Formats: sequence, structure tokens, C-alpha cells
Amino acid sequence: MARHEVNADITGMVFKIEAEAGATLAEGDMVMILESMKMEIPVEAPVAGRLTEILVKEGDAVAEGQTLAVIEN
Amino acid sequence: MAHEEALKDYEERRRRALAMGGEAKLAKRKATGVLNARERIDLLLDDDSFLESGLFGTSVMPGDADNTPGDGKLAGFGRLDGRDIAVVSNDFTVKGASSSATNMKKIGHVKRVATERGMPLVMFGESSGARMPDNMGARGMGTMLGNDPQQYVRLRESPWVSAILGQCYGSSAWYACLSDFVVMRRGAVMAVASPVLASLAIGQTVDSEELGGTKLHSEVTGLVDLVTDTDEEAIAAIRRFLSYLPGHANEAPPRASVPDGSDDDGDGVLAALPESRNRVYDVRKILRSVLDRDSFMELKPLFGKPGVIGLGRLDGRAVGIIANNPMGKAGALDVAASEKITRFIVMCDSFNLPLLMFVDTPGFVIGIEGERQKAPGKIMNFMTALQMATVPKLSVLMRKSYGQAYLNMGGGRNSDDIAAWPTAEVSFMDPAYAARVVTWGRDDAEERARIEDEMRRSSSAYDIASIYAVQAVIRPQETRRYLKRMLEIHELRPTRGVGQHRMRNWPSTY
Repeated sequence: MARHEVNADITGMVFKIEAEAGATLAEGDMVMILESMKMEIPVEAPVAGRLTEILVKEGDAVAEGQTLAVIEN
Repeated sequence: MAHEEALKDYEERRRRALAMGGEAKLAKRKATGVLNARERIDLLLDDDSFLESGLFGTSVMPGDADNTPGDGKLAGFGRLDGRDIAVVSNDFTVKGASSSATNMKKIGHVKRVATERGMPLVMFGESSGARMPDNMGARGMGTMLGNDPQQYVRLRESPWVSAILGQCYGSSAWYACLSDFVVMRRGAVMAVASPVLASLAIGQTVDSEELGGTKLHSEVTGLVDLVTDTDEEAIAAIRRFLSYLPGHANEAPPRASVPDGSDDDGDGVLAALPESRNRVYDVRKILRSVLDRDSFMELKPLFGKPGVIGLGRLDGRAVGIIANNPMGKAGALDVAASEKITRFIVMCDSFNLPLLMFVDTPGFVIGIEGERQKAPGKIMNFMTALQMATVPKLSVLMRKSYGQAYLNMGGGRNSDDIAAWPTAEVSFMDPAYAARVVTWGRDDAEERARIEDEMRRSSSAYDIASIYAVQAVIRPQETRRYLKRMLEIHELRPTRGVGQHRMRNWPSTY
């Protein structure tokens, strides 16, 4: 089982979490939306698999490169 | 000697030279699905057009002549789509294509001819580095290296292309870094020195993929423009890249025919643009609708994603595209995107490719991460490059254009002509932030909302058009038609499409 981290592309805030922990995702499925520079930025699943962990909650400040969630496949 | 005997001897010597490192090594290589040095040349060039230079070159070391056919690096000239080009192909089956006295002379020669006579140079990189023990000792060093004071000078007289098709340490890596286009096959490696040396010299255990694999170079260093799965795809990418470029800096790029249906997708532009100003989208959809059908060749797609760069054609004319991509970091330009765009501007300007800019950026990325990577310096390299460029520069203000990024993306007199879409908004910073700055310390939400609203209303396409800081406001659907005509209008007629190349000696990486 390979573990893939879903990382933040940009420093900002967690605006909305779109997927639930435990869900099975296809590559490109929306995991959450960040808000930065007044824009809503979707965070997509980099690979298909099961979303095993969501490490942030709505309203959290996140830094570029920070791990937001984990997908296993 | 009778003629017959001399010719028989010739055929025998020729056969041995063409045999490269021998059947066993070639067969082993073939089994891995990798092309050999001669197959790569054949696939690149037009049929039967290869004229080899140095077929009978061998090692100068005593006893090595018989086991170094071609001395491990093949060189010569040929035609690509009917145009003359020079080519170097490392033959890994002969002493790991290591650099030696004879083969360095071969490379130096075709490189010089390509540069002075004005034709592209293609280098198939796959080399273990300097040949041992030839290069060892002070005499070895003095004999092999440093005898060409122009070896690593790049004045962009003609396009250089490198393919990383195996392990590339030493000169193959250096030439790749000096090239205008670098394609890398998955599984290949480019690094200063091999993992073996890393382990011997500094005790670092590292695998070659981590040290210099495709992931590193396509996502982190940006030294590679394109990654392919096979040698064949890499060679096809080289042919495609060169199809946009002139043979040398003093001619205009070749004009191609326009594919049917290229004028049909004006509505695609509008469909790709979200109605909400806070929503992101993939700018590449817009580019594909504007450009000639299937003509967009994106470069460095995984590096510096807020900035999209690539070659394309508009009405058959080759152009360089620079676009902000809201899909990447909301289009906020980071250090990687700035480096990528700077290098691209230098390349396009050096080879007379007009620049088309598609603007939708909330600004440069701010915060510690960028500052630690010298963001102000990178932003100025980018800005200077744009102002130094003398090719036609056209820009389209699609949506946001804020702050310094407004200038870097061609705002004001930094483009020769600018068109804004009705969706454009131009200001020093996003009104939401600006309203907070000017009401700092006062907790009056109503006042803040009023100021923000006023600021937003004065940031429109028509405001900027009213002072003629953009020359036109156009419907998004007619962008292609507008740019086609503007490219004609701004053609460099007095010099037949050739710019001044004021950055010809700029570095090739930043």
C-alpha cells in the first residue's frame, strides 16, 4: 500500500473541505478548497485511492508544502 | 596498393567503425527498449541525409584505437524537414561515451560549424563523463581540458537542443544546461557527478533518480522542458520544437500552413472563463482555442505552474506564449514561474519569436518562501528581460492584473499593443486588501465596504481604456482575430522579422 501526501500549493486558508475521510477518490477529484490571494483554489487528489486522513479543518491557516491529507492506494 | 585492395580495406575499416561497441552490447541495449546512438540520428534526420564527421576517429591512447570506434561520440550534419542541422550523438557502447581528446575535437567542430554557419545543433546526451584514465594527472587535464576558450560560450547564434537519454554527467549535462530546449526520457539522469562519486566523495547514499531524475528536473529545478517515456517520443519532441524555430538568429521563424478549423473555437474562450472572479480555471484551454489548432507545445508544464509558457502558431506564424494560470497558485507568480518566464523571454527574443501574453494574476506571491528564494531579484530579471526584448510583444488582459505583476506581464508600454476583455480589472492590489489597508485601525465595516466597492468600480477595462493605457477592449471570442491582425501590424518589416537580440549572451539558467 503506497501512501501519497496531498500538499498545499500555496500559503493560505482552508476554505472548504469537499471530501470525507475514508472516501474512495479518482485522480483529480476535489479534496478541499483553499483560499489565498482572494481566490478559491481547488486541491485535487494527485492519485486515485482511499482518502485515509484529513489533517486540517476549515478555517485553518496552511503553509506552502504543508500536508493537508493522505491518500493510500 | 591496387585500388581494389584499398577499397576493400576502406570497407573493412568502415564496417568496424559502424559496428560501435559490438553486437553483444548493442543487443543488450536493444532489449531494454533504448535506441542506440546511430538509431537516434536516423530517427531524427530526414531519410539518408546524415553526413558523418569523424567516422574514423578513435582514441589517441596507446592500445585503445581498436576498441574505440568513432571514439564514443558520433557527429555530423543532416537535414530535418529539409533544413540543415548539426547533430552529436553519444555512443554509450564505446567506453560509456566518455569525453576524450578525439571526440571532444569532433563535438567542437560540428558545434563551431553549426554556430558560425547558422544551423540548429541537436545533442543526444548519454555520457559517463570524462574518460579515465585519459584525463588523470596534470598532463591528462592539460591535454584534454581547457583548450577551447569558447567551449561554454553561448551567444545564441543558432538554436541548441539537448536530449537527456541516459546517464548524463559532465559535458552532456553542461551542454543541456546551455540549450534552448531540453527533453528527458524517463529513467535518464542528469547530475554533476554520478551516485557512485557522491558516495565515495561525501558519503552520501543516493539513488540516481533522486540525484537527477525526471521528477527532480521537471518539477524542482526546471532544467528540463519536457519528459517523455521513450527515446522515440523525445526525438519527435525535438523535431516539433525545431519546427517553430528559425535555423539561426538572423532569420524569421518558418511560417506553417493553418490547420482547418483553427478559426472555429472563439466561443471556447468564453466557455473556459468562469463568471465568478474568485474561481480558478485552466488557462491552457483558452490558449488552445486562440491558437492554430493543435499547435500549442507547452514547455516546463510541471515547474512554476502559475506561469504557463510554450510555443504555438497563430495564423501559421510561430509565437511564444506567456500566460498566467489561475489553476496554479491562483495565478500568483512565484520564483519558479519568474525564472521559467525569464528564460523563455530570452529564448524567444533571441530567435525572433513574437511574444503573446495572457494576463490573469493577482500579483507576485508574497511571504517568506519567496523572499528566501530571492524573489525581488527574480522579479527584476523577468522585468528586465521583457523590457530588453525587441520582438513584437502583445498582451491580452483577461481578468486580474495587479501591482508589479501588471508591468511584468506587459502592462503599460511593456507591450506593443494591449487589448483588455470586459472582464479585466487593473489596480495596484486587490480592492479587498486595499480597503483594509486604507482603513487600518478603524473598525468601520460599512466604510470599508464602501471604499472597496468604489475601488472595484474604478478598476475596470473601460477605466484603463479611457486613459489609453490599453489600446482596445475586445470580446473574448474575437481574441484570435485581434491577435492575428496585430501580429501582422507589428511585423518587424525593416529587418524582415529579425530582432536586436540584446540578451543573446544572457545566462541560460537563473
